[in-house]
Amino acid sequence: MVRAALETRRRIGQGPKPLAIFVPVASVIVASLLATLPVVVANGWFPDFGFLALISWRLLRSDPWPAWWAAPMGLANDLITGLPIGFSVALWSATMLALDLADRRTMWRDYWVEWVLAAVLLALDEWLQWRVAAITGARVPPLAMVPPLLISICIFPLSAWVASRVDRWRLGR
Amino acid sequence: MATARPGWSRRAQYGLFFSFLAVIAGIIVGLILLALSIFAPAQFQGVRGAALDVTGPISGALHSVSSTVAGVFSGAGDYWDAASQNGQLRRERDAMRRQIIQARAIAQENRQLKATLQLREHQQITIAVGRVVGSSLSSPRRFAILSVGTNDGVRVGMPVRSADGLVGRVIDAGALASRVLLVSDRSNIVPASLLRGGIPVIAQGRGDGTIDVRPLEVGRNPFKRGDIIITSGTGGLYPPLVPIGRVVKLDDDGAVAIPLADPASTSFAIVEPPYEPQAAAETP
Repeated sequence: MVRAALETRRRIGQGPKPLAIFVPVASVIVASLLATLPVVVANGWFPDFGFLALISWRLLRSDPWPAWWAAPMGLANDLITGLPIGFSVALWSATMLALDLADRRTMWRDYWVEWVLAAVLLALDEWLQWRVAAITGARVPPLAMVPPLLISICIFPLSAWVASRVDRWRLGR
Repeated sequence: MATARPGWSRRAQYGLFFSFLAVIAGIIVGLILLALSIFAPAQFQGVRGAALDVTGPISGALHSVSSTVAGVFSGAGDYWDAASQNGQLRRERDAMRRQIIQARAIAQENRQLKATLQLREHQQITIAVGRVVGSSLSSPRRFAILSVGTNDGVRVGMPVRSADGLVGRVIDAGALASRVLLVSDRSNIVPASLLRGGIPVIAQGRGDGTIDVRPLEVGRNPFKRGDIIITSGTGGLYPPLVPIGRVVKLDDDGAVAIPLADPASTSFAIVEPPYEPQAAAETP
């Protein structure tokens, strides 16, 4: 039984899907497109789906896409969600850089470290959104940003799980 | 880029270095674009409009599905206490009928008085009627997506209202869809007045679906719970006498109101030309 479980079960027809390198990018754009759902809400407490998907993929693997692809993906997110153009371009590129530096510094990684990293990045995202809104004339009280931050931190494990499932599917494992 | 040095291969080292440079370039380009979109938002109107044309119809198509489903559920719920609802609605209707007759008499008197004063009357023109098909989900800003665009005559800066009250004003217009800055957005400041007494007030969104109302003259708090706030027409963008919100809570120097035109339940929104045409040119 144990030996059978250790055996590699290679089957014909398994392996990476065609266009497997583009699957992570496509999944991030699909996540951004969730913002076009026909939901009309009074307060913007939904998580930033595109950014959640981006950090889920990047924390799962160091090479989901070449690092500079984050800029065009951010542009797509800005256009889809209606954020000021350039916001996600800068934030997503900086996130790729920051996580590369974090990869060098951290000696070990487990779920908790990844969750804390994600929480820090999500808090940065919410704070920058609040700053940019304040500059453009919409200074909301800072406490108003806490509920959406908590919601997105709680949703991160789900997003990370989806990313890992999609990763296994695209690599045919 | 994950490791400090990918071995002795020159090619790999250069690849690492150039990808690092590309990310830095991405950050710089992003910051420049962000600065442009904050300080010169008119630069990106074309591209934002084009993006709305791509995403707007998706929301519109999904909206018709979700509204059908929601309609089935709320329709079933209405049967639950139909008998008591029926009696209540009859009483309300009779009260309404009496009020309407009163209002008609007042309107007629008003017309006669205005005619004697020879006041200029503005015509109510409807540019387009669209559905609210989406909203900003994850942002401190409050936007809604409207299913009409420049093809229907919608231009940036036009006020949007529904049958219940003021919705907001258009800030991005694509050919097929447009983005509306809701009255509950923090940056949307509407000159208003109290329906009871006509005291001039300022209505400013709070970013969470409610509106802050402040009296123009500092001093006594003029608000009472249940007060209706209407537009005053000052500034020339919004037409006067459009209901904005109902006061639900008082605070020390003003009050909190909830919008009467709740974008979540507003099915149709009307786009109107700016009340005074020259006001449109001034609004950013």
